[in-house]
Amino acid sequence: MVLAVRAGGISIGYIDEEEEYIVWAVRGVDLAIEEGDAFCLVGESGSGKTTFASAIAGILPPHAVTRGKLYIFDRLAIDESTWNFNGLRGRVVSYIPQNPGTSLSPFLTVEDHFYYVLRDTLRYDREKSRKAAMEALLKVGLDRGVLEDYPHELSGGMQQRVLIAIALASNAKIIVADEPTSAIDANLRASVLQLLGRLNREYRVTLLLVTHDLASTSIVCNRLAVMLAGKIVETGRTISVLRNPQHPYTKMLLDCVPLLGVKKPLKPLPGEPIQVVEDKAICPFRERCPRAIDKCVEEPPLKPVGDEENHYVKCWRLTGVESG
Amino acid sequence: MPVSLNYIFKRIILSILVVIGVIVFSYILLLYTPGDPAVKWAGNPRGPEARKAIEMARRELGLDQPIHVQIAQFIYHVFTGNLGLSIAYKVPVSQVITSGFTATLELLVFAYLLAVPLGLWLGIYSALRRGSRFDSFIQSLSVVLASMPTFWLGAIIALISYSTTGFLPYGRVSYKLAASTGFNPITGFYLLDALIQGNYAVFLDALLRIIPPALAISVYPIGVVARVSRTLVAEALLEDYVRTAVAWGVRRNTIIKHFVLKSIIPPVIQISGLAFVYSIVDAMVVESLVFGREGLGSILLDSLHKADFRVTIALAIYLTIFYILVNTIVDIIQASIDPRVKI
Amino acid sequence: MPPSLPFIRLVHRNLRKYRFKIGLSITIAILVLSLISQYIAPYPREGLGYVPVGEENRRLLHPSPQHLFGTDTLGRDLFSRVIMASRSAIIQAFSVVFLSLIIGLIVGVLAAYFKGLVELVLNYLTELFMAIPSIVIALFFRLTLEAGFHVVIISLVTTWWAWYARITYVYAKGVVELDYVVLAKLSGLSSAKIIMRHVVGVIIQPILVQAISDLGSALLEASGINFMGLGLPPGYPDWGVILYEGISEMGIMAFTRTPWLVFYPGLFILLTTLGFTLLADPLREDLDPRLRRRWKLWF
Repeated sequence: MVLAVRAGGISIGYIDEEEEYIVWAVRGVDLAIEEGDAFCLVGESGSGKTTFASAIAGILPPHAVTRGKLYIFDRLAIDESTWNFNGLRGRVVSYIPQNPGTSLSPFLTVEDHFYYVLRDTLRYDREKSRKAAMEALLKVGLDRGVLEDYPHELSGGMQQRVLIAIALASNAKIIVADEPTSAIDANLRASVLQLLGRLNREYRVTLLLVTHDLASTSIVCNRLAVMLAGKIVETGRTISVLRNPQHPYTKMLLDCVPLLGVKKPLKPLPGEPIQVVEDKAICPFRERCPRAIDKCVEEPPLKPVGDEENHYVKCWRLTGVESG
Repeated sequence: MPVSLNYIFKRIILSILVVIGVIVFSYILLLYTPGDPAVKWAGNPRGPEARKAIEMARRELGLDQPIHVQIAQFIYHVFTGNLGLSIAYKVPVSQVITSGFTATLELLVFAYLLAVPLGLWLGIYSALRRGSRFDSFIQSLSVVLASMPTFWLGAIIALISYSTTGFLPYGRVSYKLAASTGFNPITGFYLLDALIQGNYAVFLDALLRIIPPALAISVYPIGVVARVSRTLVAEALLEDYVRTAVAWGVRRNTIIKHFVLKSIIPPVIQISGLAFVYSIVDAMVVESLVFGREGLGSILLDSLHKADFRVTIALAIYLTIFYILVNTIVDIIQASIDPRVKI
Repeated sequence: MPPSLPFIRLVHRNLRKYRFKIGLSITIAILVLSLISQYIAPYPREGLGYVPVGEENRRLLHPSPQHLFGTDTLGRDLFSRVIMASRSAIIQAFSVVFLSLIIGLIVGVLAAYFKGLVELVLNYLTELFMAIPSIVIALFFRLTLEAGFHVVIISLVTTWWAWYARITYVYAKGVVELDYVVLAKLSGLSSAKIIMRHVVGVIIQPILVQAISDLGSALLEASGINFMGLGLPPGYPDWGVILYEGISEMGIMAFTRTPWLVFYPGLFILLTTLGFTLLADPLREDLDPRLRRRWKLWF
């Protein structure tokens, strides 16, 4: 078993303009993603999922600060506050951004984008990169005609496919997709997700999909992790988590979205997303949790759930502390 | 924001209207300011020839005809460059204006060939090192330089060059040297002429004399271009597409050269164009009074002193035309290099 | 809330910045100088341009304790002339920018708020005046009117207002489409109130900052026009005029023999312009939050 991504107690924060305080977006996450997995990171806005994904893709902004360790295929990429993504970006990890409209340079054709990426990662020349680009475009179901086009001449869905094709073209082993469907029309969402799932199965690409939408996880992913306020509160195989959610937050997330083939009343998620400024070890969901107990002022450990393989949850309720 | 073709088309129409407006206004100025228009047009002549000259001016302007015919005729004369003889220089007005434009343009183009690349380099370099010592030094320097009156800076440059080398850059070329080497200006751009004729002595002399005023003039565009390109690069580096390209493994140099620079070139061209038209006035001031070069500035001052009304008016009109021409050309260049505008 | 309040807050926020302090000190110093110079000038009459009679030997004296900046070609005390010229600089810079700002603001906001024909006509007017170089206007005035402040001020305002109209229009266009302006219209608020409170009040900050930094450019351009002899009459206490007299009357060798005639008036133009720029720059940065963050070339 080869681990594609291994995070050991990683914390990521952003320092404010006056450099007076740090807002921690990811707070002490341990995570392992195996090679070939299609891994989903689910959470509401502000849960730190995008920050975590940018750390893996190697594009944390300069005002970010880190603690802990992050390994990518056993290469140490983040070691406490030092980062080293040389040789990883593009060649090992590639990236599909959230907003297709602004993620391609308006001054370069699609072919130029492919060329600069492939020249810098794989030392391809014009001709070779054109061939590779055509192959990649074929995989995402686009015509080779788009090579001569500028981004503004393509529709949103086509731009997103081009982004996926470029991410694929350099033969990276991991693809980080940061909410790839949130900025495109609903009717295109399913096809983009299916495309990602197919790429994962057919080309053995490890996929890290960041989403706020539990429904999309079931289409693509075999494993998922639910993030809340910078921490992973539940993780496991997709089927196991969706069928048998343990954490109250996961349950509430499931209650508020429709799932295919399941008939149930929809309930809105109560409360506001949690802003964490002070770095205290409490259960982040305590304020909004309908089943909170006194013990919840302390942070619960991540414990395995029953006999399910790899299913972990971070909640005092499930560690035997029922009373109090 | 990219400039659209539709916009350029509208601009050209408007430009023609502006030019005609300025011409009509000039003519009205001639007619309705105190004094006989024919006397003014003839340049307040005195002596025995005066009556003849005034009579000729009256015929030239067609003052006995209805006003709209006069104006139409005047517009026609402006566009055919046929405004008669200059009183002060005793040569056709068009010739006076042309020689002024070539002289001033030579200086301006020389200054801008120096200034725009340098400003661009400074701006990019300090944007890439935003917050560094180099950046803050360039920032402070550009603020100070931008606050200097160009003619004052020119005077100081002349003073420095005089006190260090004993050479006072004066005029466009040493006429003694030009005459002795048989220099024969054809295009009016002395540097170009000297180079074509292989007259390196004159070329060097003209070069030595053009550098100090060009330095003074280039300070403003260097500052503007550096400032604007610094902001543009700094903003471009925050774009999503730069972040994405980094994640795809595109190297730093490729990103700067192909992703960042391509996006700042059109706005830099636009701002250089604006600075260029602004610098025309700078050049007119500096070249004539500080460096004693003939050009638009000296023509303007001469025509005012000698009441050479037609040259003054012609200068105002052609200056406006030139101003608009540069702006329009810049817009067209900008549109043609932006892929978002269909040609 | 009056629209000026956020601006005062903006200024307050920047008070502790080093550059802002320098800019403010220079500006206040020049303003005070423009008010009191005629009382502290050692030779106030000469400062106004009167030529001292019967003292021919006072011409072109080097700087000395009697004449701090030396004397000029006609024997006038240069120090008095230069410090008394601060008034002319302040008058020109402020009136050009203030008048242009008012006209530009009105035209720009009206063009953005009332669409259709008004927008079309006002925008054409803006483009029209942007296309005329101010020196051409100055030339026209010079041919028709007596020399004086009005020549400089009107010829600059004629072209400058269009720039403010343009930036106001661009900012206002972005605001009038916003929902809250539409809602204010629907709720029956009068146009005048909406424009003042919800349009001008919102966009005024960056335009005011631009205006402050333009005070310097206005001074430079006005000095240029005066230096060419197109604006104020000879002898008038104005830095451009003094420089013109220093250079043109002495011929081209002037500044090699009598550099003080050129140096001091130019230095004052430089300082004043610098003051305005230093005042505006920190405010401008403050208004652009994207570029405030700590930054390094991170990839």
